[in-house]
Amino acid sequence: MVIYLKSIFNDAGNVTLFTARFFKEVLKPPFEIKEFIRQCYTIGYKSLPLVGITGFIMGLVLTLQSRPTLAEFGAESWLPGMVALSLIREIAPVITALICAGKISSGIGAELGSMKVTEQIDAMEVSAINPYKYLVVTRILATTLMVPLLVIFADGIGILGGYIGINIHSDVNLVRYFSQVLASLDFIDILPATIKTFFFGFFIGMIGCYKGFTAANGTESVGKAANSAVVAASLIIFIIDMLAVQITDLFM
Amino acid sequence: MIPEEINTVEQLTDKKENTVISIGNLHKSFGKNNDVLKGVELTVKKGENLVVLGKSGSGKSVLIKCLVRLVEADQGEIKVFDTDITTLDNNALNAVRLRIGFLFQNAALYDSMTVRQNLEFPLKRHSKELNPTEVEEAIIEALDSVGLADAIDKMPSELSGGMRKRIGLARTLILKPEIILYDEPTTGLDTITSREISELILAIQKKNKTTSIIITHDMACAKLTGDRLVILKEGLIVAEGTYEELEKSGDEWVRSFFN
Amino acid sequence: MKNESGFTWKLGMFVVIGLALFVVTIYFVGKQQNLFGSTFQLQTKFKTVSGLEVGNNVRFSGINVGTVKDIELVNDTAVLVTLVIKKDVQRFIKSDAAASIGSDGLMGDKVLTLIPGTFSKPPVKDNDQIASRKAVEMEDVMSSVKTTVDNAGIISAQLAEFSYKMNNGNGALSKLVTDEQFSSSLKSTLTNLQTSSNEFAKFTTKMNDGKGALSKLVSDEKFGKTLDSTMANLQSGTKGLSENMEAAQHNFLLKGYFKKKKKAEAKKQAEIKKQAESKRKNTPPVIDSVKLTTKGE
Repeated sequence: MVIYLKSIFNDAGNVTLFTARFFKEVLKPPFEIKEFIRQCYTIGYKSLPLVGITGFIMGLVLTLQSRPTLAEFGAESWLPGMVALSLIREIAPVITALICAGKISSGIGAELGSMKVTEQIDAMEVSAINPYKYLVVTRILATTLMVPLLVIFADGIGILGGYIGINIHSDVNLVRYFSQVLASLDFIDILPATIKTFFFGFFIGMIGCYKGFTAANGTESVGKAANSAVVAASLIIFIIDMLAVQITDLFM
Repeated sequence: MIPEEINTVEQLTDKKENTVISIGNLHKSFGKNNDVLKGVELTVKKGENLVVLGKSGSGKSVLIKCLVRLVEADQGEIKVFDTDITTLDNNALNAVRLRIGFLFQNAALYDSMTVRQNLEFPLKRHSKELNPTEVEEAIIEALDSVGLADAIDKMPSELSGGMRKRIGLARTLILKPEIILYDEPTTGLDTITSREISELILAIQKKNKTTSIIITHDMACAKLTGDRLVILKEGLIVAEGTYEELEKSGDEWVRSFFN
Repeated sequence: MKNESGFTWKLGMFVVIGLALFVVTIYFVGKQQNLFGSTFQLQTKFKTVSGLEVGNNVRFSGINVGTVKDIELVNDTAVLVTLVIKKDVQRFIKSDAAASIGSDGLMGDKVLTLIPGTFSKPPVKDNDQIASRKAVEMEDVMSSVKTTVDNAGIISAQLAEFSYKMNNGNGALSKLVTDEQFSSSLKSTLTNLQTSSNEFAKFTTKMNDGKGALSKLVSDEKFGKTLDSTMANLQSGTKGLSENMEAAQHNFLLKGYFKKKKKAEAKKQAEIKKQAESKRKNTPPVIDSVKLTTKGE
């Protein structure tokens, strides 16, 4: 039991040090701008189709599922607003973050894990290149900035999906739909939701990098790193989400 | 500089000048009851090819990783170019690391980059004054010296084991190191390729006048490349000498390596 | 890197579209909140704002023209509400305009409605204070509904009392409907009437056979003819009357009365029985139950 607790605290300490190192190194030149851009491309642009499809389906399904309930109250005209609100405030950020945890976090975990196992990280170290800076800082920065962008895309595409969902049963033109959506939105809906996506992005990158970077030697640990990265990232997304909602509630 | 002057200096401080690496009382353990190195003493002279022999798990790899602080020593002194690297800060350590080349067991090529990018990766970061043509020339030169100039735009996954080793060596050579550490350079290669690699090591040493430490358990490689051999057993150096000397050693265990 | 330009433009496109989407949304949402564009402020005092909140819409002629910026309690009976309104509607809001609080549907948000002033008055200035109208509170609506319900209770109680009295009372009308003695006396009256008509028959025979002046008057042929036509007229008259009666019985207003008359006969028997059982009770059970339901309102 004591050993178990100790290993948990040990892990927590390592994660903290790892995170602290990020903040220390992110501001220190030289900056690996090229690698950062390349990571933004793989993390952001390459994830767009996946995020887009899920976003669209979320919007469509949410609309179709909410319609009967609202119709019961004769409040079908609230549907665009309701769908937009739930998408922007909660569903798009969380689902997108979870998908990114699955795609990006595990990808980073596996990539860095295999680099660790095949001594590529050591090779950088001995050629006097800071692997943390080159591999970790660029990836964490890229996820921190790209996940919010992906969420914005998911919001937009999801709302479009909602439009199609509504038009399956009734006829609302696009302008009217968007004016209804915009009318239901408020800064308090958009800003906290956007801010929390930066945290989602940061932790998705951070956990993936940590798991990959600290992978043990051996091919098996690559899979382990990828797997535990997804699990930990998904869990932490929910925890951050809960905290974000609580904090937003305080200011409402 | 006048050649005579160098000679006199070398003669005066013969022993000191010629020692590039000196390891004293090096200890390293991974957790309790897992002592890997238990007080290794070793010196390497300039221009020498030192072969470290030993069974798997005898701590050979850990020994050379300590030299570039990939593994932090628990106790002891590691002097490289007369500076104790165990106490250096990051910047000074990196300055020392730049003078040391390290060839990893599986070459450790960066999977996501082409051969060209693999080679220019360290070069661009440490020789920023070079213009693109100079970089290109340096890459071609390094690839030529390992005889693989035509593989420049291939990905590491398209290369065979022997080619990967050579590209890895080229990547090490491109920074013109004074010391090269080889971690099992011939492991996993067939006899012919092993021989080619061994000859390459020798050729590079002749050409660039580098000091090398070669970790291996391939006796053919040891015989070909080693000026001096040491044998590591249970974290200690138990035998030292030339290939011929050790082959005729009175110790049964030492001789068993040569059969 | 050879393929660098290949992915850079895609990344650039991705980032630019994403940011544009965000900025456009923020702009439109901001536009609705009047945080962008020129606005002016108005103030108004209410006794109660009935749940109005900062950020609620301000409507003028049914159009959203602004939002509630601030709600501040001035003292125990006055709430100062500050409104932010689009500059371009300022000229339509006259200085005698008033504000009232309404609700956007039954479950919807509160809205502050501006009631336009007189055309001839000058328009409001920035930070002017305008008058307010008392809001139609849900409680007010409920209390008026309650009065109506109470009244309905009283009416139905009185109706019940009336019908009870009708059944058991001693008034002329109720006697007509219920009293047995009355009906038997009515019967004897009819018997008497029969007797007298018999007498009258004898009298007429005498009249026919007799030679008196009166009889002559009666049996005279000429006179008889005249009388005959008079009788015929009378007959058709009565026939008309009976037709009227028939019609009256089918008329829906009076139909109930006739039915009641029938029923009352039967009911009276039961009522008498019942009354004997619950004699100690002063108030009959019908009224009791009516009172109970009124109390519940």
